[in-house]
Amino acid sequence: MPKRVAIVGIGQTKHEESKGHYMYHETDFEAAKRALDDASLSRGDLDTVIASGWDAIDGRTLSDMHTCMAIGGYLKDSSHAGEDGIMALVYAYLRIASGLFDVALVAGHGHREASIDAVTRVVFDPLFTRPAGRNYIITMAMQANSYMHKHGVSKEQAAKVVVKNRANGARNPYAHLDSPVTLEDVLASAPVAYPLKALDCPPESVGGVALILAAEDVVRRITDKPVWIRGIGWAIESYEMGDKDLAEIPSLAAAAQRAYKMAGIRRPLNELDLAEVHEATSFHELMDYEALGFAKPGQGAKLIDEGTTEMGGKLPVNPSGGSLCANLFGASGLVRAAEAALQLRGDAHGRQVAGASLALAHGLSAPSGAAAPTNCVAILERG
Amino acid sequence: MTQEEEILIMPGAWNLPFRHTAGRFASRFFRELRDNKKIFGVRCPECRRVLLPPRPFCERCFASIDEWVEVGNQGTLELFTICYVPFLGLPPPPIATIMVKLDGADGCLSHILGGIDLSDVDKAPELVKIGMRVEAVWRDERKGEIGDIEYFRPVKSSRRA
Ligand SMILES: [Zn+2]
Repeated sequence: MPKRVAIVGIGQTKHEESKGHYMYHETDFEAAKRALDDASLSRGDLDTVIASGWDAIDGRTLSDMHTCMAIGGYLKDSSHAGEDGIMALVYAYLRIASGLFDVALVAGHGHREASIDAVTRVVFDPLFTRPAGRNYIITMAMQANSYMHKHGVSKEQAAKVVVKNRANGARNPYAHLDSPVTLEDVLASAPVAYPLKALDCPPESVGGVALILAAEDVVRRITDKPVWIRGIGWAIESYEMGDKDLAEIPSLAAAAQRAYKMAGIRRPLNELDLAEVHEATSFHELMDYEALGFAKPGQGAKLIDEGTTEMGGKLPVNPSGGSLCANLFGASGLVRAAEAALQLRGDAHGRQVAGASLALAHGLSAPSGAAAPTNCVAILERG
Repeated sequence: MTQEEEILIMPGAWNLPFRHTAGRFASRFFRELRDNKKIFGVRCPECRRVLLPPRPFCERCFASIDEWVEVGNQGTLELFTICYVPFLGLPPPPIATIMVKLDGADGCLSHILGGIDLSDVDKAPELVKIGMRVEAVWRDERKGEIGDIEYFRPVKSSRRA
């Protein structure tokens, strides 16, 4: 039997436009320190650390030479997830569930040292795809257009996601963009790549996030407010954009089904108290609703029209403001897990969903955008 | 409080040479573009899909592939976006990137769209339509690369003034 695993420590920096006085891995250090303080643990209590982030974005191959030390890895078991921090959470979960380790720290960072537009071109196949003008946001725009075209979703409906998330982010002290916007603001913002306007796209934020995970045997020694990982699933889909229906996110649907099965969830819209989803763009949050089973295919926009996913709605989605308010490119998925865990502890000051006991956190790991996305879903429960 | 210190920014750039092997599948595809102005896909022996770009195996059936199928120079525009902001490493905007399903193929090829005036931000998405017919425009001097097709353009009969 795998061991039960809980989140016992949470640390985030403020996410913001610039932290010019920091080197890129100092946000990992600050977040790790905060997570240790939160758990009343010290570096010596950690058995393993997992850093995360894309080497090419960090501008150093083996960026974990910095980051693993910045999160307490000296002379310890350590690994590096070369993708979004949500996968560092997966690898730490597996290490603890196996019984080989008791306490793990996972972390991720975002910085603005790279041109994400340029670096994300490198992940595309150099023979066929890279010459055809692809980068992260272009493939996300194509996916948004596919979804809009197939299901008749309007730009206004997607813009409502931005309005919702920016209103939520304005109450989140960690958020980078902390001002609300109107529907008119979104629709009048500068075109980026059709159908995406500037405000449909997340910012690039500087910041760090860290979580401490512990095995069931030691959880109660550390905290009386654990957040249990009740279910977790992850999946990758095809790299070939030409082979698939881009109006769907099958890797997210597969990940969710595994997580729901493990957690015994049959009707997520009714059973969950909140969800933190990694919306790559405003359109993607609507697509996420469908892949996560909150709505039937093509019906995601109904949830935003009816206010279901607003604060105070049946299933608030992104009470933190989501990636549209703070986007660590390479750790935005891990931030979703941190925010969901804060909610379940009752510590999401200013943005708390009252009485939350069961939450979903979703992370997207895909520097290639809609090509080969890996999606991870975790179901978290208040302990 | 501490006084404002000067924080330095160190510029960096990667320009790393590679020698990517095209292998027998992409090599044949690119030779056909260069020598014959023909576009070939491959057919999976199990699901029977005609796949582009050509590849040695079908990831879904996990089957080896060895059947070549010529597909059309024309096809249907299945998906597009039009970029309005300059992206480092890409041509200046506006550019339309597309997925085109060539006649006889099951998968789409990634390419760019030309032959349309995209300069009017509001009008351009009306001129580029999912489902429109497009055709390959070949370069005169071909080198055996995907850019031997300079771009796809709307087929004349459906092109708007
Ligand atoms: Zn097949």
